[in-house]
Amino acid sequence: MPNRREFLTTLFRAAFLTGLGVLGGAMVLRKGKPGECGFGFDCAHCGEADKCVIPHPFESRQMVWQLDPSLCTHCGQCATACVMTPSAVKCVHVYAMCGYCDLCGGYFKPGTKTLDTAAENQLCPTNAIKRKFVEEPFFEYTIDESLCIGCGKCVKGCDAFGNGSLQLQVRHDRCKNCNQCAIARICPSGAYRKVPARHPSLLRGFEQKPKNGDFTQSQENR
Amino acid sequence: MKQKTLLFGALGMLVVLILFMVKDLFLSSPEPGNNPWKYDLETMKQADTMKPAYTMVKAIPSGLQGLVAIATGPGDRIYTTGAGGAEIYDSACRLLLRFDFEDTAYALTVDSTGNLWMSMGDHVEVWNKTGKKLQTLKSAGRGSLITSLALTGSSLLIADAGLKVVYHYDHMGNMINRIGEKDPVRKVPGFVIPGPWFDLAVSPDGSLWIANPGRHELEQYRFDGQRLLSWGKPGIGIPEFCGCCNPSHFTFLPDGSFVTSEKGIERIKVYNPRGKFSAVVALPGDFDEGTRGLDLATDSRGRILVVDPVRKQIRIFVKRSTTSNN
Ligand code: SF4
Ligand code: SF4
Ligand code: SF4
Repeated sequence: MPNRREFLTTLFRAAFLTGLGVLGGAMVLRKGKPGECGFGFDCAHCGEADKCVIPHPFESRQMVWQLDPSLCTHCGQCATACVMTPSAVKCVHVYAMCGYCDLCGGYFKPGTKTLDTAAENQLCPTNAIKRKFVEEPFFEYTIDESLCIGCGKCVKGCDAFGNGSLQLQVRHDRCKNCNQCAIARICPSGAYRKVPARHPSLLRGFEQKPKNGDFTQSQENR
Repeated sequence: MKQKTLLFGALGMLVVLILFMVKDLFLSSPEPGNNPWKYDLETMKQADTMKPAYTMVKAIPSGLQGLVAIATGPGDRIYTTGAGGAEIYDSACRLLLRFDFEDTAYALTVDSTGNLWMSMGDHVEVWNKTGKKLQTLKSAGRGSLITSLALTGSSLLIADAGLKVVYHYDHMGNMINRIGEKDPVRKVPGFVIPGPWFDLAVSPDGSLWIANPGRHELEQYRFDGQRLLSWGKPGIGIPEFCGCCNPSHFTFLPDGSFVTSEKGIERIKVYNPRGKFSAVVALPGDFDEGTRGLDLATDSRGRILVVDPVRKQIRIFVKRSTTSNN
């Protein structure tokens, strides 16, 4: 019969190991938003999360579906093929690239004579783009995601006539992160791929000095 | 026996089911089908039915990685620059020299001795016609992207798309004044530059013209910054400028007519010296879809030289009636 001291030592070891296991498991499986440590401390949003030696929270180590706007050919299937209705793909506006143009190629139907917000002048089939006067001659365009169906019509207009600041993206607050994304399977441009959840967007940025003299936009992983 | 049949039947059904799933998952081909939200750029481009008064007589394949800028110099020599180098051709389009540098040249003008003045992004460099660097002017500042250059007897004019202003320098790179900054007192509305397209040129009679692409206008300025005239209208009709930022490039013919190029609906047109539309040079059908950056130059014979960065060619257009002479 083990003596009392041995029993207590075994108990202590078992408790210690269990504690370690629980702590390790919590470290690995802890939840947390991308860019945060996930320990539930008051986050100082130091912006150094990527350099942190502690492994990223479980959720932000996951992979999610995203589409690369530089490959997208605006075929319209992002609007129809998603398992969600309306689609989890939405138009995103990269304001840093926008020219705040009066005659916006993404907002107005081609050939529109009067540049006002009349519904018949708008390119968007759901009137999801809002135009607001900033100062002469600049206008700001915002997307009402609750109306956007991800059809990409505005994106094509902006690409052709503007700077390409309107871009399609999978919105992860709506996306089911299907094992096999229904759009990825049929996208004719192969624009879909899996990206780490902590860098969930693949927006194109505008380079001030484009390399190789290519004045199209360079891609930026944000 | 009956059990065996049942077993094989079930197995067969399972195989069919698996095959169906495999086909559905991996082999079904993309069916773009009818896109109810199609933005029909093609129909819009085909609406440009006016017959071009010009025709292309030559397409010179360039050896440069990315073609960006073009200019003509003494003896109607043709100069092009882009990513990592420059090329010089004689007027018969024979390559005379190609030389390399590390940067990308975003704009080019050539002086009367054949030296190349090139924008390397935020500053200007001068190289001679044998490919030797002669001079580096000081940077225009952080955020600067110089997209057009022009020289006169004593002035260097610099269009900076990054900082949305035109600089008036002397040939040594000393700033004389800035042109085009918003100034309600002098009735200068300011440049609206939504993207890296901002061109300027000096006309054969020596006047300075600057594109204001966000306003779809060409504006004339005095060298001291006084705004004089402007013309241009937005729209998709041929005489107008389409999209949100056009004309992206322009230059002058020897008679003072303007030659303009646009992106979005790729087209090159000629306007008389008072800004009245006069002829079509090229229409969208002449370019690959999405071509942008159609920099322009002209020579003493009135030929229009166009940089086509997608086809990596210098394309030369001449007036139809003069085709036989070229
Ligand atoms: S399916 Fe592909 S090509 Fe079509 S709109 Fe979506 S990302 Fe673009
Ligand atoms: S045009 Fe299509 S993609 Fe653009 S905002 Fe409207 S619904 Fe969204
Ligand atoms: S993963 Fe699923 S929910 Fe998300 S975009 Fe693809 S089909 Fe839609």
